Parts: sequence; C-alpha cells; structure tokens
Amino acid sequence: MSIRASLGGAALAVAAAVLLLFLALPLAGIAWRALTDGDVATELSSGATWEALRLSVVTSTLTLALAVVLGTPLAYLLARSRSAGARVVTSLLDLPLVLPPTVAGIALLTAFGRAGYLGEALDGIGLTVSFTTAAVVLAQLFVSAPFFVRAAYAGFASMDPHLEGVAYTLGLSRWRTFRSVTLPLVWPALAGGAVLCWARALGELGATLLFAGSLPGETQTMPLAILAAFESEAGLAGAVSLSVVLLGFAFLLLVALHRLTATAGPYR
Amino acid sequence: MTLSAAFSARVGDFHLEVTFEARNELVVLYGRSGSGKSLTLRAIAGLVPPDAGRIAIGDRTVFDAAIGVELPPQQRRVGYVIQELGLFPHLSARDNVLIGLERDAEAPARYEALRALLSIEGLDERQPHQLSGGQQQRVALARALVRRSEVLLLDEPFSALDEALRSDLRAELLRLRRELELPIVFVTHDLREAHLLADRIVVIDGGRVLQFAARDEVFRRPSSRRVAELTGIANIFSGEVHGGLVEVAGLPLRADDGRDSEGATVDLAIRAERCILRRVDPDGALPENCFVARVTADLAFGNTHTLHLEPEGAGPPVEVEVASRPYEVLGIAHERRWVVELPAADLHVMPR
Repeated sequence: MSIRASLGGAALAVAAAVLLLFLALPLAGIAWRALTDGDVATELSSGATWEALRLSVVTSTLTLALAVVLGTPLAYLLARSRSAGARVVTSLLDLPLVLPPTVAGIALLTAFGRAGYLGEALDGIGLTVSFTTAAVVLAQLFVSAPFFVRAAYAGFASMDPHLEGVAYTLGLSRWRTFRSVTLPLVWPALAGGAVLCWARALGELGATLLFAGSLPGETQTMPLAILAAFESEAGLAGAVSLSVVLLGFAFLLLVALHRLTATAGPYR
Repeated sequence: MTLSAAFSARVGDFHLEVTFEARNELVVLYGRSGSGKSLTLRAIAGLVPPDAGRIAIGDRTVFDAAIGVELPPQQRRVGYVIQELGLFPHLSARDNVLIGLERDAEAPARYEALRALLSIEGLDERQPHQLSGGQQQRVALARALVRRSEVLLLDEPFSALDEALRSDLRAELLRLRRELELPIVFVTHDLREAHLLADRIVVIDGGRVLQFAARDEVFRRPSSRRVAELTGIANIFSGEVHGGLVEVAGLPLRADDGRDSEGATVDLAIRAERCILRRVDPDGALPENCFVARVTADLAFGNTHTLHLEPEGAGPPVEVEVASRPYEVLGIAHERRWVVELPAADLHVMPR
C-alpha cells in the first residue's frame, strides 16, 4: 500500500472515531451518573417513573399501529400513481419532517385544539382532543407517520410494478398479489420505516408539550417526564434516572426489532 | 384458437392503434423501442384499458368497448412473459409456477409434464437468483403455460440474455410453437430474431401498424419506405416512373413489380445482399439495370463485406453486401471500379 493510500485510510478512521466518540460520550455520562449518583435508585423506585414509561409504550405503539395501518395504503397509492397530484403529495410528506416539533404542536392546536377549527366542532359533540392521551397519540402520529410513509413509499416505488401485472395474469387477485408478491418484496422497507417511526414517536416532546400538555399519568410521556424532572427540585439527578430507563428500554426494543426484521422477514 | 385484436389505447399523450390477429402461429410485433409493442401486449393481457375496439381470444370476447365488456387480467387466460424479473424473486421455481393454482388438483401433473418439455427438472426448490438467465426464462414459460393459457404473450423474453443462450431459446421456442396449439405473440426490436421466429409480422411504428403480413412478404415487399427502413433495407431510392421504368438519379431501372402510372414518384428498395457486382468490360455496353461505380468504403464483418459505392455517372449511391468467398475470388480488395447490377426481380417499388 502506498503512503498516500494509508494516510487516506488513517484519515477515514480518525473521522469515524471522532463522531463515534462524540455520540458515545454523553450516553456514557448518563450511565456514569446513574451508577454514582445516590438519588437515581430512589427515582427508579418511584411509581411516577413507571407510569410515564407505561404511557410512552402505550402511545408510541398505538401511533405505530396507526401509521402502519393508514400509511401503508397511502404509500402504495402514491408509489403507483402517475398523477402530478401524487407527486405534490409525496413532496409535502417531507414537511412534517423538517417542521420544528413546536410548530407541529401549534398546527395541531389550530386544527384540533378547543379553539381550533375542527376542535370546536368536536367539542360541540362532547369530544375534547387536546390535553388528553389521544392528543399525545395525534402529536406523535403527526411527526412520526411521515417517516414510515416515506420508507414504505421508497419500498413500493423500487419494486418492479410489472411483477404485479404478471401476478394478475396468473389469476392472482389484487389482494392476493399484494399479500403474496408485493408485501414480501417491500417487507424490509416497511420494517425499517416502522422502526424509524416508532423511535421518533417515543422521543416526541415539543408537539406533545404544546398540544397535549404534561399531565402525569395522562399525557406525560417519558420525554416530558424527563423535562419535568429536570426543571423540578430533582434536577439533573432526576432527569438522569428517567433517561436511563428510557435509554435502556429503547435499546432493548431496537435490538429486538432489528433481530425481528433481520430473521422473520418473509423474504430475504 | 385465434387471437384477434383491433383496438386503440391512450397512455399520456401516446396514442396506440393496432389491428392484427394470430391463429395457431407465431406473430412477431416488430418495431423500435417506444413504438407501442409492449403496450399492445399489456392491453391484450388486460393490464391497460383500451379506449375503443375489441379483443377476442377464440370465441371469448375479453374486451369490447361497444358492449362494455372488459375482463380483468385474472380471467383472460393469457400467458404473459416479460423481459426481466418476470419471476417472483422470493419464491422457489416450483412456487413461482404453481402460485395461484393451489386449488387446481391437476396443476402439479401439468407442471411435471412441462418440466420435461422445458428441461427444468431438478430446479424446483431453487430461487430465481440461483437460476441462470436461460433457466429463469424457461421457468417463466412453464408458469405461463401451466395454467392452460389460450394465448402466449412474450415481451422481449430473451433480450436480457447473452447471444448463445438466445439462439438456444429461440430454437426451443420454434419447437414449442409446433407442439403447442395456441397463438404466440412475440415482441422484439431485433430484426434477426423477428425473421427467425415469425410466421407473420406486425410492423409497428409510432403506435400505428405499418404492415401486417407473412414474414417473407414484409421482408421482400415492404409496404412503405418506413417499413423498408425498419426492416433493414440498406438501399432505398426515390424515383419517377417514365415509360414503364423508374428513373433514379438519371438511371432508368426496370422493376418487376413496378405497376405505377407515368410520372408518379415512387420509392424503390433493394437489399444490400441482392445487389450484384460485375467486372468492368471496357468494350461492352452496359446491360439493363447496370451502372459503373467506385468503392468508397469497405467494412469487413467476418463472413461478409459491406461495400459503399459511388456512381461514376448516372445511378444512385449503393450499399452492397458480398460474402467473403466471392469477395476474395473477385479480388474486390484490389479493384475499386465495378459494374453494379440491381436485378429487376429484387427491386421493389413502393408507392408514395
């Protein structure tokens, strides 16, 4: 190997190591504080912590289910449509991704809040959305569903649409074709999108805070509980203990999901 | 079984209008890419709705705009094989063939028979990526045939394969055509493939059928200048009819099938391999349909030479194809000046 080539290799390794270190150090900091700080143990045994975690798990799972059930048809139709309208919708899908979550929260309030144009009507029939657990799910869905739809769209679009035509000529119904041909082929894209979507929902803070508030047991998910703890007397120690719980949970779930998508996919 | 198709379809701003039929024979849809060949197959298969016309397979009308009949692809009983990725990549060869036939008790037996016919024994459990290109296409053919299809639609099925495999599969297809009693419609943009396989040819250009006729008719008597160009005729001249002869660049030429009226402008075509070169006889007069020309380019293609000749006096520039053996015997490499004869039997007149 020439000197230039080995220098280049070293530069790559250094750059990679710098970023890796930067990402790892804060996580290590949390772990270190959790191990050394005496308050963490007491925080961990508090019922409020587990209440927040339960709420996070329930809402983010609901969000993921809604995103998959409603987002898969949307992604499929967008990928198969040739109309100009479909192209516009596809590019608009990116909007919630670049929007600051606080703006998303405000947007949701203007629509579904008590004074919002839909919220007022819903209020009239006795349905209040804002500052309820349902609002948490809506806030998460708004910011995270585009992650799933984007990934699913890319999956459907990358598949040769002629395969579906061939399947029809073989006598397979549209539904059977979707189930037996399309779905197995786009499975990795759907699974990847689902992981992203779920992760974004789990970490959702800004939109939830504005649209659902931070009511313990009702709308206070883990990220909100961490923020509340940080601003309370518990301070950093309280925030750290909650963060450790969230971190550990998220890590376990990610590992499980990756194993699931790597081995259980109907098509590899 | 007869497939008859006469319909028009519109996709975006592309307008397709085709009329042809196929009995128990192999009909080639021939044309450049983008001419509407694949769209024609997709419409017959039921994957693209025509906006007018009728498509019938035997006595079953599968599409008729006038009476509002439009069978879905699932009910048309067409075998449809496409160029690439026609197989489902996540299924084994066997599952690819038998998908959708779970309730057909006779399907496995038919598959057994087809495995032998297409020599794909021992590949049952392989996934498409574990099959060679040729094996993939054989499996795709088995899949198209196993469901008692009444028409076989093949959309450039061999074009992703290398040349050696293609000629094997073409030979195989010719054998299948004899054994299967059903119309086969084969799409290709490859002139040699069209010539080898076709009983009849549909020449398509810009969404229109330019000529639909028996293979030799299309190759020997193209209906128009455009068909002559598409079927690879190197020499196409325009001329004027005078006294029963067609005058091209000052040279009167006799054409056996020339029936046009005095003064008419016509196109005249002759294939490069039909032109004859003779040694120049300094004393003799030039016979009919002959003129003196000089070789300006000489391209060697192994077993043939393609020569470009410019006339010395009257007559058009021509391209002449000479086989290697006469090329050497005549000593063309060392002599630039030749008499070119355009035989009257091989000159084809096309009305404008």
